[in-house]
Amino acid sequence: MASRDRRLALGLAALALLYLAAARRYPPGTPAEPGPGVFPIAAGAALFLVAAWLFAVSSSAGAARPDERRWSAPVLGVAAALVGYAALLPLAGFAATSFALVAVTAWHMGLPGWWRPLALGAGVVMAARGLFVWWLGVPLP
Amino acid sequence: MSDLFVALTPANLLACLAGTALGTLVGVLPGLGPAGAMALVLPLIVKLGPTAGLIMLAGVYYGAMYGGSTTSILVNVPGEAASVVTAIDGYRLARRGRAGAALAVAAVASFVAGTVSVIALQLFAPRVARLALAFGPAEYFAFALLGLVLLSNLSGGSRPKTLAMVVLGLLLSTVGMDPLGGTVRFTFDVQGAQAGLSFVAVTTGLFGVAEVLAAASAPDAPAAATRVRFRELYPSRHEMRRAVPPMLRGTALGFLIGLVPGPSATIASFVSYGVERRVSRHRAELGQGAIEGVAGPEAANNAAAGGGMIPLLSLGLPFTPSTAVLLSGMLLMSVTPGPFLLRDHPQVFWGVIGSFYVGNVMLLLLNLPLVGLFARVATVPSRWLMPVVLVLCAVAAYADNNNLFDVWVMVAAGLAGYAMRGLGLSPAPLVLGLVLGPLLERSLLQALTIGRGDVRELWASAPAALMLAAVAVALLAPLAAPLLRRVRTAREP
Repeated sequence: MASRDRRLALGLAALALLYLAAARRYPPGTPAEPGPGVFPIAAGAALFLVAAWLFAVSSSAGAARPDERRWSAPVLGVAAALVGYAALLPLAGFAATSFALVAVTAWHMGLPGWWRPLALGAGVVMAARGLFVWWLGVPLP
Repeated sequence: MSDLFVALTPANLLACLAGTALGTLVGVLPGLGPAGAMALVLPLIVKLGPTAGLIMLAGVYYGAMYGGSTTSILVNVPGEAASVVTAIDGYRLARRGRAGAALAVAAVASFVAGTVSVIALQLFAPRVARLALAFGPAEYFAFALLGLVLLSNLSGGSRPKTLAMVVLGLLLSTVGMDPLGGTVRFTFDVQGAQAGLSFVAVTTGLFGVAEVLAAASAPDAPAAATRVRFRELYPSRHEMRRAVPPMLRGTALGFLIGLVPGPSATIASFVSYGVERRVSRHRAELGQGAIEGVAGPEAANNAAAGGGMIPLLSLGLPFTPSTAVLLSGMLLMSVTPGPFLLRDHPQVFWGVIGSFYVGNVMLLLLNLPLVGLFARVATVPSRWLMPVVLVLCAVAAYADNNNLFDVWVMVAAGLAGYAMRGLGLSPAPLVLGLVLGPLLERSLLQALTIGRGDVRELWASAPAALMLAAVAVALLAPLAAPLLRRVRTAREP
């Protein structure tokens, strides 16, 4: 089985090829009048070369494992809450979605009881509104 | 020269105090950054008159520069690009209960660098400004490329991995309008992506959201730091001794880099960290929570802020978003910066320079007593703190451009940042690529156009040729080293 670094190198090479395929939509122009495609082609090619370098220097056996992290239930819960937050923000607005995000995240992270996550959510939303909207005049969605 | 003391009048001192306090407060909030903080007070300064108004605006600039590092150290959320490097060691120090020491060293480094750069600004402003104009597109291209190649290996990890992150940052920088022709690229018809990927959204995601996910993976872990005693809030004598050399190196580097147009404060902080990795006596500890990793970059980005004032005040050229807002403030007051600023408005010129001295002292006096208060943030259990960080990140991502698409960018960057940690990839080089990508592309296309397609234009001048030669050496040396070792081994009997 390929090592993690080799899989990473293959993934980066695939990403570079996909990016280069997408970059074909933009004309490279001529050397005297370079177009919007020149830099993306150069950058995509550079990523492919670096991926090849990474593949060449990584051993086929599993190498060092710097910081393996599991996609545990709390992590997946917070990740799902974030995706839901971004999706619902334009529909439900800042206050409702932020309240839910804070409460769900706090609950997933182990804040005990049901009222503490809810109280934290309410407090954060009120503080954020007061600080950003009323005091600093920063618009929120 | 006597106009220098105009900054010491009670009204101007008050304007300076209000500016530095407001700047620090807004800078502490992730996302707004110095330019955003300065834009917030633009309507207010008109009422104060030219000297007091510009003194207040300059105070906001310095305050926000300092405040930006606070969230980097405490919760690993850099408020702006120049604070990204500070997060590497600053946050690790905070997790070890040394948040107070890191914040105090950041304050002292900012003070030293700010003061030295103001002295240099006062002495050399008009002469040094002309040097900045000697840089053309070819020199910028070589400079940006050299920066990317030399500074990519910040985390000290695998070279191809860090280079891959830099190039990935370059790829991300191509999303949106191209810098010369305005062609919209890689947006896949998403309206919100036309302006490009927001740097704030990417950074808050890669650092802040990823940190929240990391905390969620170990929800039962204790707080980042336990409550510390008062005397432990400040750096020990040993820590201060260690911080002095990187502080001085960072100041010198930052001031010189600040003269170069572009994102100089960011480049200065990365260069300073890169230099410390090579010359510091404690370089092995960098990346693990070394005080040098806070002192050097913090001094460098503040000195660069001072250096960046030279082209603004002497030539009327703003090279950063923050100095562009300062220029807007000057124009609002009918003050035109440039070679005639000193002749036409000596009180404004010297008053603003004088306010830099006063502002640096105020920042130190304002921030050192607050170190204890800020350091307590690191002792809050993550189950309370991290949900708050998440909302701050979302507000920062949205408020940068009032664009809901940026919230999606933040979420995607957060998930990617968390996955990158598992793969042993550092996000800092990616940020460097994202920041320098537009400069690199613009200067490449401009140089090619000027040379009418002749690529030799890229190394036609001596500075550009030297920098490109350094790029070649930096890239080829790691490849050539194993070959040389093999040749040596083969020759040995």
